[in-house]
Amino acid sequence: MLSRILFYSLAAGALAAVTFFVTRSMVIQKAPVKVMSTIEARIVAGAGSWNACFHNQVYGPRRNAARRANPDSIISSMAYDLSDGPVRISGETWPRYWSLSFYQQNSDNFFVVNDLELDGPIFNYLLATDGQDTSELGGTRIVSPTVKGIMLVRRFAADASDMPGIIANQEAMTCGPA
Amino acid sequence: MKYLITLIGAILIIAASFVAARATTVKSLTNHSSIFDTFEDVNGTWLFTDKIGAAAASGVERARVALGGPLGLSAKEAVYFVATKDDEGTPLQSQCTYRVTGPKIDTRWWSLALYDSITQHYVPNAENRSSWNNVSVPRADDGTWIINVAPTPQETTWIPSQEAPDKNFELMLRVYNPSDATRAQLPNIELPTVERVSC
Repeated sequence: MLSRILFYSLAAGALAAVTFFVTRSMVIQKAPVKVMSTIEARIVAGAGSWNACFHNQVYGPRRNAARRANPDSIISSMAYDLSDGPVRISGETWPRYWSLSFYQQNSDNFFVVNDLELDGPIFNYLLATDGQDTSELGGTRIVSPTVKGIMLVRRFAADASDMPGIIANQEAMTCGPA
Repeated sequence: MKYLITLIGAILIIAASFVAARATTVKSLTNHSSIFDTFEDVNGTWLFTDKIGAAAASGVERARVALGGPLGLSAKEAVYFVATKDDEGTPLQSQCTYRVTGPKIDTRWWSLALYDSITQHYVPNAENRSSWNNVSVPRADDGTWIINVAPTPQETTWIPSQEAPDKNFELMLRVYNPSDATRAQLPNIELPTVERVSC
C-alpha cells in the first residue's frame, strides 16, 4: 500500500514538474512573438496596410510610444508580410543620424545599417525571404528569416527645429511591394 | 473506475501546473524591473547589456527586452546603459534632486532619457522633456556636461522627474555608433556620475 502511494506521489510530482517547465518554456518563447504581433497590428492600423510606411512626425516623448522609447529618435516603421513577394524600401538618409533596421518575428534585430555605411544618401533595399528571387528587381537584397516582421528607420532630432526637414525626408521615403 | 480516477487526477495536475507556470512566468517576465536582471553591473550605478536584439540572447533575455523595451538596436549599432540607483547605491526617487555629470563620450550620438520604473514610459510634464542628447545639451570646452534631474524646475538642463513622491525612476544612456576606442573598452568606459544633491 505504501509503495503504491509513493509511486502515485512520485508520478504526480513528475507530471507537475514536466508540465510546469514545458509551459514556462512555451510562455518565454511566445512572449516576443506576441509583442511583435501587437506592434505590427498598431503599425498596420496607422499605415493602412502591411508593407506600407508609417511615420511618427512628433518630436519628443509620446504617450502612445513603446515602453522605454527613445524620444530623440523620430521613427518610420513598416510591418512587413512577404507572403506575396519581396518588399522595396527606398529613399534618402538623414545626415544627423539615420539607420534602417529589421526585426524578425521573435524580435531579433537581424539587420541594421546606418547612413555612414552607405556610399551616398540614396538607399534602395529589397526585403525578401530566402526562397524569393529578386535578381530582376534591382536594389540591395536583405533576407528576412521570417515571413513577417518589422522595419524601423530612425532619424535623430536634436530638437524640434529638425522636424520640418525630417518630415520632408519621411515623405520622400517609399515602402511597398517590389 | 480506477483508471478514470487516475486520468482525472492527471488532468487536474496538468491543468494546475499549467496555470501556475503561466502565472509565475508572466509575472516574472513583466515585473517592471526584470528587464535589467541579466544586465551586467558596471560600476555600482550603471548596468550594461549588449544582448538587446541579439540572436545570442537567451529566451528569458529576449522575452524581457520584448516586454520592457521592444525593438532596440543590436550591439553592432548601439549599446545601452541603465542607472536605477545613484552613486551611493540608493534607488533613484522622484522627490530627490540629482546632478548627472558626464564626460565627453567618444561616439556619434548619445542620449540620456528618464523613465518611470513602474509605467516604463516617460513621465508626462509641462516641459514635454524626458531626455537630452549630445547636440542639445550644453557642454563645457572639455566636452563635459551636467543634467539636473528633479521634480521642480531647474535653471539649466532639467529633466523633470515627477512631483508625486516615492516614485522610482531610471536613467537610460544610449550610445549610438561608438568609436572603435569606445567599443574596445566596453562596458568599462567613463560613465556619468549620478549624485544625489538633496532629498
